[in-house]
Amino acid sequence: MKAVRAIEIRGLKKSYNGFQALKGVDLEVNEGEIFALLGPNGAGKTTLIRILAEGLGYDSGEIRIFGEKLSKKTARFIGYVPQESIAYDLLTVEENLKFYADLYDAPKEKISQLIDYFDLPKKKKAKELSGGLRRRLNLAIALLYDPKILILDEPSAGLDVPSRRELWELILGFRKEGKTVLISTHYMEEAEALADRVAIMNEGSIIATGTPEELKSLVGEESIIQIEGLLNGLERLKDKFRLVEKDGVARIHVRTPRESLPEIVETLVRAGSEIRVIKIEEPTLEDVFLKLTGRGLE
Amino acid sequence: MKLRAVKGIIIKDLRELRREKMALFWIFIFPLMWITLFGTMWGGHNPPVSLDVGVVYTNENSAFTAHNVTEIMGNVTLEGVHIFRIKKFASEESGISALKHGKIDSLVVFPPGFGRNVSTGRQAKIYVYFDRSDPQEYQIVRGTLMAFFSEMEKRMREKKIEIQLEYIEKYMPTGEYNITPEAVREYLIASAEPLRIEEKEVSGNAPTPIKFYITSFIGIQFLFATMLTIGSGTLEEIEKGTLRRIAASPATAWDFLAGKMLSTFFIIMVSIFVGLVYSRVVFGETIVPSPLGWLIIFTASVFSMSLGLAIAMATRSIKSTTAVVNFISMPLLFLAGIVIPESIIPSWARPLTEYFALGRALKDFRLLEIYHRPVRDIMPGLTLVGVETAMMFLIALFLYRWAMKRMEV
Repeated sequence: MKAVRAIEIRGLKKSYNGFQALKGVDLEVNEGEIFALLGPNGAGKTTLIRILAEGLGYDSGEIRIFGEKLSKKTARFIGYVPQESIAYDLLTVEENLKFYADLYDAPKEKISQLIDYFDLPKKKKAKELSGGLRRRLNLAIALLYDPKILILDEPSAGLDVPSRRELWELILGFRKEGKTVLISTHYMEEAEALADRVAIMNEGSIIATGTPEELKSLVGEESIIQIEGLLNGLERLKDKFRLVEKDGVARIHVRTPRESLPEIVETLVRAGSEIRVIKIEEPTLEDVFLKLTGRGLE
Repeated sequence: MKLRAVKGIIIKDLRELRREKMALFWIFIFPLMWITLFGTMWGGHNPPVSLDVGVVYTNENSAFTAHNVTEIMGNVTLEGVHIFRIKKFASEESGISALKHGKIDSLVVFPPGFGRNVSTGRQAKIYVYFDRSDPQEYQIVRGTLMAFFSEMEKRMREKKIEIQLEYIEKYMPTGEYNITPEAVREYLIASAEPLRIEEKEVSGNAPTPIKFYITSFIGIQFLFATMLTIGSGTLEEIEKGTLRRIAASPATAWDFLAGKMLSTFFIIMVSIFVGLVYSRVVFGETIVPSPLGWLIIFTASVFSMSLGLAIAMATRSIKSTTAVVNFISMPLLFLAGIVIPESIIPSWARPLTEYFALGRALKDFRLLEIYHRPVRDIMPGLTLVGVETAMMFLIALFLYRWAMKRMEV
């Protein structure tokens, strides 16, 4: 059976003051799936999302929502959860929801349902909420008029690990309810944990789309040697291996770990490195991005 | 227009205002402080002026001396207040020095022979020194002191006439001329005082000071609270990104603007109402605007909101909007006759009270509600205010649309 397209984008282009933020994006998001836009900051994810959810103008291309052209009417199918809090600090949770319910002409009984669903303290002012609760309030606001598509911009940015896990559970719950979820993220763990399909964005273009497994297969037969410690001399390895280094952890792509490992360790030790941990791992989406673009996600 | 969305925006703004202590201060407390301050200083009954007067004289052995004059001065009271507090100085130089240093308000010097001259019917001299460095104080001091000497001079003339009449009655031949001593008395009194002026009071339509300051308070609301509430409020929504969300909802940016203007209008009306009630409770006087008075208030508030919005949309920064509003409003407080009467505004600034919408609206409001002038007298002004308000409203809408376009919502 052919999947119903919740979002269909063809040749979308958008420029700001001479800078081309989107260079002809093609994208299809199926109904009921969680779809992740993965890419570093500045890849064009937020621009694409603002076009879909906030009515930001674009230069050319076509956007269809459930087969209909994107308009004020079809935008009603979309609920948007921006990265920043859209709640008013001085209003309570309940007052914020009442305000947005008036704005979206949503039924009033939905307010108490959402307060219960997200376990929100209804009498607390928004400024008194933790980061996790604020994000949940944003979600509740987006769900006031029961949209079929939920778009989340960097949903777990700035959250601690427990709050992030709770949020992921909620997002996975939306899929069970039949909602289509589009998330933009630069955390590959988030994309891997949540998404049915992933589109990798870089410099205004989508460079690969598929399930996480399909994308990882792009890395080929390669394995990853992960080395942690005080690392010196990584630049000496760059001519021979593809590698990315972040927070004292180097991920080095190799075809034959058994043969490459001694050479890598010797080079690093000679350069004065203090190696603490060495692991040999399967590739992640970050490695896919590295393979496709030659640089890391951040 | 989505009425539910507009209602939601109004309620949200009012709830936010209720919890924003600084906004409450500027919208409600600051203007009440203004009324209280000026009402207390100039709005109520002021006690009579009391002056420190230095005197210099030498003791004389005459029937009436300088010492007698200073005693009379020291005894002059009005409403139980001594008008002159007399300080005797040994010399003219020491008195002048005290005047220069602000220790006394005026110096009266009676030269030697003053008593002898007065007592023997000759002309006597008095030297009065004033400090003119403060023109207003000079006028008050001079006016009070000269009024005293003028009254004293009149009494002395009357006394002299009495003495002259005694001689006339004694020596005037009776029946020789067709003239009576009574006619001579009337003639002499009229010579001494050709005009007799009597003061009478009426309760006119002139404004009491407190009513003037109530209208000033309304003007302050327009110049500061109204402009800043709508300007900063709109920019806050833009900077926070919530206006983008509103515009992406079924409501539009125009619904938002309608809600914002209505909530601002409601807040300002409540603050004006509170000010009027406060004045009635504290000072026992207030203004109860007529329907036309409320129309003037409404028109002025639309002008003020439009100006505030235009400034905010042109600057697109809360800090700059606050700075520009203060930069414009501070001088206008004085030059457009908001807090000072038009009569003391310099002539070059008077056009502001005539042609600047807020100055003109306040002027017409005062004419209508304080002086009770007929409607036809204020119609030209009201028409001008209406036209300027419509123009400013269109400019604000144009700038708002431009800002929305730049924001691409």
